[in-house]
Amino acid sequence: MSIILEVKDLVKHYRMGSETVKAVDHTNLSIECGKFTAIVGRSGSGKSTLLHLLGGLDRPDSGKVIIEDKDIYSLGSDMLAKFRRKKIGFIFQDFNLIPSLTVWENVVLPMGLDGRKINPEEVLEILNHIDLLQKKDAMPNTLSGGQKQRTAIARALASKPAIILADEPTGNLDSQTELEVMALLKNCVKEYGQTLVMITHDETVAQMADEIIMIEDGKVVNHS
Amino acid sequence: MKMVTQIAFANMKYHRSRNILIGVAMILTTLLLFLVPSVGMGMVNGQFAVVNELYPTWHALYRGIDQDTADRLSMHRDISRSGLRSDTGAVPVAGADISMMYLDQEGLFLYKMDLTEGTLPQKENEIVVSKGILDELGISGEIGSTVKIPYQVYRDGGLDFTQEKQFIITGFLPDTEASIEARQYVAIVSKEFLFQEVPKDQIAYRFLFQIDGNERSTTDQIEEAIKQIAAQFGISENDTNINTEYLAANYVDPAFVPGIAAIMLVIVIAGMITIYSIYYITMNDSIKEYGKLKAIGTTKRQLRQIVLRESYCVALFAVPIGLLLGTVLVRAVMRLMTDYTGDGNLMMETMRAMIDNNGFVMYHWWIYLLAVVILLVTVYLSLLRPMRIAAKVSEIEAIRYQEGTKNSKKSRKSRQQFSVPYLARINLAGNKRKNLITICSMGITGTFLMVVATVLSCANPVESANSSILGQYRVTVESESGNKEHPEREWSEIVKNNPLSDDLKDRILAIDGVDRVECFTRITVDADELAWSEQIRGIPESYAKELEQGIIEGSVTYEELKSGDKVVIDKNLLHWHPDLSVGDKLLMTIQDGDSSYQKEIEIAAIGDYPHGFSIYEYFLMAKEGADSLIKNNGSGDFEIYADRQYDETVEQQIRSIMSETSDLLNLSTWQNEYETWKSALSMTNAGCYSFLAILGAISIMNLVNTMVHSLHARRKEIGMMQAVGMTNRQLILMLQMEGLFYTLGTLIVSVGLGSILGYPVFLWAKENGMFNISQYHYPLAAAVLVTAVMVLVQMILALALGSSVRKESLIERIRFSE
Repeated sequence: MSIILEVKDLVKHYRMGSETVKAVDHTNLSIECGKFTAIVGRSGSGKSTLLHLLGGLDRPDSGKVIIEDKDIYSLGSDMLAKFRRKKIGFIFQDFNLIPSLTVWENVVLPMGLDGRKINPEEVLEILNHIDLLQKKDAMPNTLSGGQKQRTAIARALASKPAIILADEPTGNLDSQTELEVMALLKNCVKEYGQTLVMITHDETVAQMADEIIMIEDGKVVNHS
Repeated sequence: MKMVTQIAFANMKYHRSRNILIGVAMILTTLLLFLVPSVGMGMVNGQFAVVNELYPTWHALYRGIDQDTADRLSMHRDISRSGLRSDTGAVPVAGADISMMYLDQEGLFLYKMDLTEGTLPQKENEIVVSKGILDELGISGEIGSTVKIPYQVYRDGGLDFTQEKQFIITGFLPDTEASIEARQYVAIVSKEFLFQEVPKDQIAYRFLFQIDGNERSTTDQIEEAIKQIAAQFGISENDTNINTEYLAANYVDPAFVPGIAAIMLVIVIAGMITIYSIYYITMNDSIKEYGKLKAIGTTKRQLRQIVLRESYCVALFAVPIGLLLGTVLVRAVMRLMTDYTGDGNLMMETMRAMIDNNGFVMYHWWIYLLAVVILLVTVYLSLLRPMRIAAKVSEIEAIRYQEGTKNSKKSRKSRQQFSVPYLARINLAGNKRKNLITICSMGITGTFLMVVATVLSCANPVESANSSILGQYRVTVESESGNKEHPEREWSEIVKNNPLSDDLKDRILAIDGVDRVECFTRITVDADELAWSEQIRGIPESYAKELEQGIIEGSVTYEELKSGDKVVIDKNLLHWHPDLSVGDKLLMTIQDGDSSYQKEIEIAAIGDYPHGFSIYEYFLMAKEGADSLIKNNGSGDFEIYADRQYDETVEQQIRSIMSETSDLLNLSTWQNEYETWKSALSMTNAGCYSFLAILGAISIMNLVNTMVHSLHARRKEIGMMQAVGMTNRQLILMLQMEGLFYTLGTLIVSVGLGSILGYPVFLWAKENGMFNISQYHYPLAAAVLVTAVMVLVQMILALALGSSVRKESLIERIRFSE
């Protein structure tokens, strides 16, 4: 299988008071197309920083992140934003839905920003798939946690990105909902042929992935 | 209470962006609250100081008073000081103006005249002169010297033939630079001389007096007393001359205080609306905090105090800055105002010198105190509602409260396709109340601005000049009545050999640049119904439309006015002759050179004409009709139309033709009228627009606050949008569209409501004679300026906000949650 994402000698250090935190420290890794990869690590291990760097949300001190043969940090901020909305889908722990937009509008937001013509059939199909068709005109504040996260998943899927990055997507959900969301996520990735990189500190959740990358003190310690 | 202040102080620091904006609004409000009364008082004090230096000290004078009335008047209980003056005649010197008058010791004091040496004349051959008079006569002399002085005395309503007499100089009056430059002097003669030269029944005094000021402190009270005494002695209004400048300078004008108070009320309202709106819009941020404070036992009163003291803490910093700025600006503003009136205005020039030399008090401690107290009251009033909201916060609700959750809508129809403008619209739709407050707050100031601008734009120097003169140049004949030395200046003599001849007309027409010359007729008439001689003005046919359109009562056509037995009277005539009405037939004595005859002329209509049209000749008739009334040449004035508003060569050519023709001709120009009006109006405009600009700046704080707060509250949301691909350009576009909404909303309210309200205010201003305005003008320049400033501010704001957002990393914003 081809490599869709490659990280080369990535470094990101923070100053926290007088101390320097090595959040990402000379990390190298590659993600294969169509795979579900889990990045696992303890709290403060640098896994969230790594995910932000993979998604172009932050800028590294040095190193490269190559997605579909494009070094994303060679792009200016506006070009990077355009790249993100075309190639990357995000799923956050606290859903990060726009409260003033309906479920439908939240889902089509990246495409709308990209100026793409939205195909309602496709969006309806995704909403139907994740069981949110009835809620398509609902405002986010009327949804349950699971419904919110499913909306976020639909948003990540709808723009057909090259890769989906999920940051502890089930961290704010109860165990029953967690299971449902994970099953849906895995199912969707498979169904739509997507590549998924997910951060989690939960070993049981990580076990659902095709590959697991262990992070400790900003370095990859195990890749299985 | 100390804890309350501590919390308020901490809140002030915590809500920095809000309090900076409130602070700026407070600085500007304090500045205006200090500047307006200071400049107002300064100008009045300055004027007072100048007036006390330049003007005589009598409160009023009555004209045409005989000795007996003067004696009785001087004993009136309300008159504290009085003096007598009688204009005896003139010393004839070509080009100079030397009046000869009798003035008693008290009169000398009331005129603030002081002899540099010597005493007032007592005997009939004694005189007080000035060095300037002797120089004009080409003679020299000291006290006690006998000098031969020519003079003409007033007899039978005019100046008599020149006589000469040997006078003994008893004293000297000083000459001022201005009097030497203008060649205007005064010689004082004795009462004996007056009695000897002027027939007793023709001696008329001017009775100068001061009203007893112990019981009266306002100009209105003093003026009332002056009028009352006049009424008691049967002295007419026309024979009463009130020294308004001196009274205004030394007594409080009751109109001054309400005027300043009204302007300050406008400032207070603008400040209140702005502070309230800024506080209200950002209040949601603090609701939760107030709830928590309430939950742990803070009382309602304490909560109100926390809200109030937070803003008072801001005032602690803002007020001194505002006062400091004001202190610096008072002198500069006053200097600018005196500069603006231009050179040649003696009053303003004297005031300018006084400002530079600290000639009067410009800073008053009580204005500082007043500005502080009014600002604190303004802040208190603007926070009444926020204080009530804070006090009424329910502990549970406030703790649960989150921005956005108040949105009661559970669902709405989704939009299939999506764009950045739609995102802006969605955000605006979610904050209807805040939008309304912001737009109303800015709209009220904008409306006020537009209404004032309407009045100012109607006060147009071009129009005022247009209403003062018909064409670009006007040549008139100067006539003088009763001067025996110059009988040729009598109008009855002029018409026999009128310099405004066809030949003169042709010569003026031949000047390159002159398009046409219109000749108006002037005929002197008397009638029993008229208190004095009036003029019939013959209007050329080319003004038939203007003549007919000006009619406000009755009806008559230009054709009918050609008959010579019908006239239109100018409504201003009714001021002196209110009994005249349409349909009245006046038996008029028409002067035609040396002869006169009587003719019945009917008042066919009453008209309202600019004084440039009537030139104070109040009986208007078709020229053909007027010309038919006399055999002589009754041309009164030439109205000259040129291809350009002003051309120096044309003026010079007209002047040269005039000087070749007659020394009785006088020229006035459109340009001169324009300059006079321009100078008078420019100061008013500068003052008003500066005031409006600061008021506008206070109001703009609303826009800044609303946009800053809207961005602050949506930091995370915007971060999210950027995470999923919103570019910086799209962000700025979104912010600009939101700002544009406020701008458009404010402009619709300001320009729309301002335009609608502007018209009735114009009508009111016209009716009250404000700035001599006559025609309505839409304040297009102000509307364009307000629009441009608003659009510019909003665009800069969106750019600044966009760049401030970019300074913070995306990750920080996504994580951000208050």
